Amino acid sequence: MTGESMQIALPLSRLASDAGEVTSLYRELREPLLRYLVCLGLFKDEAQDVVQDAFLSLHRHLAAGRPQQNIRGWLFRVAHNQARNRQGSYHRRFAEPLDSCFAPMLDETTPERMVLEKEKFHRLAKAIAALTDSERECLLLRAAGLRYREIGEALDMATSTVGDTVERAIRKLSEKLDV
Amino acid sequence: MCKYSTKLIAWIDRELEPEPMAEMEQHLGDCGECRLNIAKYEGISKILDDYCNAVVNAEPDWDQRRWIPILSAAAAILVLVATVTVVLRTVVQPPLPPSPTASVQPTQFPIVAEAPSPAADAIRPRRATPKLARTQAGKWLPLPPKTAVEVAIPADSMFPPGAVPEGINFIADVSFAPDGSTRQMRLRPRLTAIERSVSQP
Repeated sequence: MTGESMQIALPLSRLASDAGEVTSLYRELREPLLRYLVCLGLFKDEAQDVVQDAFLSLHRHLAAGRPQQNIRGWLFRVAHNQARNRQGSYHRRFAEPLDSCFAPMLDETTPERMVLEKEKFHRLAKAIAALTDSERECLLLRAAGLRYREIGEALDMATSTVGDTVERAIRKLSEKLDV
Repeated sequence: MCKYSTKLIAWIDRELEPEPMAEMEQHLGDCGECRLNIAKYEGISKILDDYCNAVVNAEPDWDQRRWIPILSAAAAILVLVATVTVVLRTVVQPPLPPSPTASVQPTQFPIVAEAPSPAADAIRPRRATPKLARTQAGKWLPLPPKTAVEVAIPADSMFPPGAVPEGINFIADVSFAPDGSTRQMRLRPRLTAIERSVSQP
């Protein structure tokens, strides 16, 4: 056994374990990531590209032996930054009329329920549009199942600031929706 | 206003330290106002969750893209070779003499689409990320995508084992000029094998 052969074996074994970890994270986070990106305003196939790129970055990150704590927050940060670079899509969601947006989803509901759902979502969308960017992003990341410290990692904010922002955003929605 | 009212959402999210968490639970037993606000905030979270699902469901799949099976580069090349062969035959083969029976159609040029091959799935039109244009009515609509072809290439057909992490393959975006010549080819690494393993039960 020479030192050279050990040096070759090490990266290969690391690649194998990284692939397993990436697969497991992919299984867990692909859908929440896609949902977050589409809710931000990206088109579905655009969001899929961003998710793919984020996981490829994760591959490189792990293979380079970089820190692995708060990896969920890290992954969302990579995806979030890529979404922000697509300005056209990023600002689309809350800038266009929503009347036709929910028609496909509501096809199977009764007409009465359809009207109520549409009205509810319309008011919510207006209330979300009135939030600041960071309030909206914190809320959507929370809806994706992230903890406050993970949201902080994704948006480069202190955990306590995330808590304050989430609370402020939900209070605003509550006032606007009069729930 | 109750002094605990600013900690209600952190309590719902289980983000309080153990001691304030227990204190809040004790307080909620006594304070009807806070219990009411908790129900209100949980309702908001539920509506927001439904809204996010509705947005994703309502968003059109621009190209109904599904990750295609990993096919060998050799199979893709085979299709190209077959296509070239057909084209060459159409060029060099002299036309058949007129048939005595006018109702019979000449069939000297085989059509690729009539010979299904698994390799045919390796090439498919790709819809690029739609660009937006604003209409006169002020609505944002996608512009038609550029015509392109996407070919899946397994990493191990190009790189030695271990050089590329397991689960990664490549998609080649090929675009053509109007005269049929190749204008551009771009290789993009993609997690096709991981995607496939996750989508299988």
